[in-house]
Amino acid sequence: MALTRRQLLAGTASGLLGSALLGTAGCGRGAYLAPEDTISMWYWNRSISDTLLAKTPKDTGVKLAAQKIGGDFRAKLLTSLAGKAYVPDVTGLNEDIATYFPDEDQFFDLNELGAEEVKSQYLEWKWLRGQAPSGRFIGFPMDTGPTALYYREDLFEAAGLPTEPDEVAQRVATWDGFFELGTQLVEANPDVKLLPRGNDVFDRVVGQSGERYMDEQNRFIGDGEHLRRAWDLAIESNERKLTARIDANFSPEWNAAVSTGAVASLVGAVWVAQIMADGAKDTSGKWRLCRAPDGPGNWGGSFLGITKYCRDPEAAWEVVKYVQSPENQLVYGLNEYKLYPAAASALDDPRAQVEDPFFGGQVTNAVFAESAKEVKPVYLSPYDNVIGPCFTDQLTLTWSAGKDPDRAWQDALREVDRQLSHLGLI
Amino acid sequence: MTTTPIAAPEKATPPPATPTKISRRRELLSLYLAISPFYILFAIFGVFPIVFSIYLSFQNWDGIGDMQFVGFAQYQFLLSDPQFWKVLLNTFQIWIISTIPMLAIALVVAFLLNQQIRAKGSYRIAYFIPNVTSIVAITLIFGSIFSNQFGLVNAFLEWIGVEPVQWLTEPWPIKIAVAAIVIWRWMGYNALIYLAGLQAIPNDLYDAARVDGASWVQVFFRITVPMLRPIILFTVITSTIGGLQLFTEPQLLLGNAGGPGSEGQTISLYLYQQAFTLNDFGYGAALSWAMFIVIILFSIINWRLVQGTGTRGLRIRRGARS
Repeated sequence: MALTRRQLLAGTASGLLGSALLGTAGCGRGAYLAPEDTISMWYWNRSISDTLLAKTPKDTGVKLAAQKIGGDFRAKLLTSLAGKAYVPDVTGLNEDIATYFPDEDQFFDLNELGAEEVKSQYLEWKWLRGQAPSGRFIGFPMDTGPTALYYREDLFEAAGLPTEPDEVAQRVATWDGFFELGTQLVEANPDVKLLPRGNDVFDRVVGQSGERYMDEQNRFIGDGEHLRRAWDLAIESNERKLTARIDANFSPEWNAAVSTGAVASLVGAVWVAQIMADGAKDTSGKWRLCRAPDGPGNWGGSFLGITKYCRDPEAAWEVVKYVQSPENQLVYGLNEYKLYPAAASALDDPRAQVEDPFFGGQVTNAVFAESAKEVKPVYLSPYDNVIGPCFTDQLTLTWSAGKDPDRAWQDALREVDRQLSHLGLI
Repeated sequence: MTTTPIAAPEKATPPPATPTKISRRRELLSLYLAISPFYILFAIFGVFPIVFSIYLSFQNWDGIGDMQFVGFAQYQFLLSDPQFWKVLLNTFQIWIISTIPMLAIALVVAFLLNQQIRAKGSYRIAYFIPNVTSIVAITLIFGSIFSNQFGLVNAFLEWIGVEPVQWLTEPWPIKIAVAAIVIWRWMGYNALIYLAGLQAIPNDLYDAARVDGASWVQVFFRITVPMLRPIILFTVITSTIGGLQLFTEPQLLLGNAGGPGSEGQTISLYLYQQAFTLNDFGYGAALSWAMFIVIILFSIINWRLVQGTGTRGLRIRRGARS
């Protein structure tokens, strides 16, 4: 029978209605990303090796449906959690893991699944970051972001500064020493600055500290001495004209500054090496690494969590444990993707000691491993991403608009007050 | 879909429907079915989110846990939020320094394109291309052009001996950089709309003016502009709505915080930051309704301004003639 146009239209419309109805019915049944016997997983590009995920089902005996989620990962995860449907069983959580602490009941306590047994294999400070204040452990360590000083050997030499990593590390043992060295550098050649941005000094000092913006009861402690010190050092770096006034990290301008030699050093996390190798190819071989001024800190790094919608948490745990085992963090994380391991044994493994031509053949891991082991444990509050910008925004105004540093500091504290009262915390 | 609004009234016991009535009803049914996909999708993706955002603006919600009813607290915070007033001001500043030059240039370009020139078609295409180019690519390129130390603009300024400008860190230059992208992207689009309007103006008027010895400038301001008034009103209102919702250009150029001191943060960028990066969905919803009210207000003001002076001006001229 030939289909008339009318029938076709009616058919299409009712089909559409029908599928819409079925869709809502699906929610009642429970909507899952994968069949009952399969563990679904969300991760973002370059967070877990695809080679490793391909062999995971064979090695763990768990069927795995891993999906690489592009775009705004966090927004998509929140959407699925808010909709209580199509939530992945295992999901990547970024360095903002603390923002999930108020909703920690959305995740399984990995300690109940046996995480305690492998705890000793991982860096303690990193492990603690995945633990909510209640003691429930919701984020299993993936990679970390230990920091080091990146510097241009040739520019240091031209300024008559030491060039060997050990000697430089000695000169920059404190921020003061680092700034002294910077003054000498800038005096030798005013076109070369020590650092891309003064705000980085603030962020790195905060990253080194054992305290941040809040204590574990979520009371504001950012008006304390530790933060004021970070602030003052950042102001000082600008006032001594050691910074290049770059608008933002990893912006086109940042790339230009790094690749043209307008900045001779920066304090960066381990993953910055990849960005520089991609964006500043011409400077390959000229960079060196040494211990960061005033010691190590951490910048970035991510976690794996198991959501409460998972029907087989034991199987999901097997996947997490396997994918992030010390061995796999070394072979598929560090050596394949340059993701810095959170497993202590991986740091000292001979296979991690690779000479990097971008750093003139230096074994960069020697610097980062030492840094990673020394990071201080710190409480990250769910509100750090609200409080932090109050300070960095005001800091920016001091160098971009010439705002008085003391007034900017007062305004930052006032802004924190306002934000905290909006959040209902004071 | 068993009954349609057009179905015969129930009371009048329907006589065994005549063939014409049945076919009419079936015809209407299939018409409604034919347009229903749009309305179903609109209800799900249009009406529901709008209604839900009203509800959301009275709650405190981080996107995952339970919502907490807070009454008008979000709106109260909004009124006392200096950042809200700042981004509102930013939005207007960027809107003014982008829309006015953009529409003025577009009008002149349209006027020129309407003259007897060679290769008209290729000019039109050239002016329209920015509008269909990927905005991500455009913004990245503008980012390099306005880059503080390595940008094309500053290289040019230095070359002619002018002090370089910190385009992406200082308050006004940030806004100018954002406005430049908007102008570049939308000028050709508006020029083409004006061009369509120009072609509807009868040639007799121009001929008459020429016979009377009017100059180009007189022709432009006495014939072209008055005759184009409805079209200008249309472009003013669409650019108002677009300008007050400006998002992509500052977001890509400056990030969610709108650059140093939030100088380039527009109201929709602020709402995005609050809702989707800080997960304060209640406040984000309240901001979106504040933005709605502002846009409505300004559309009315624009309409009164452009339409109002038009009729008044015409009346005066008529009066003067009689």
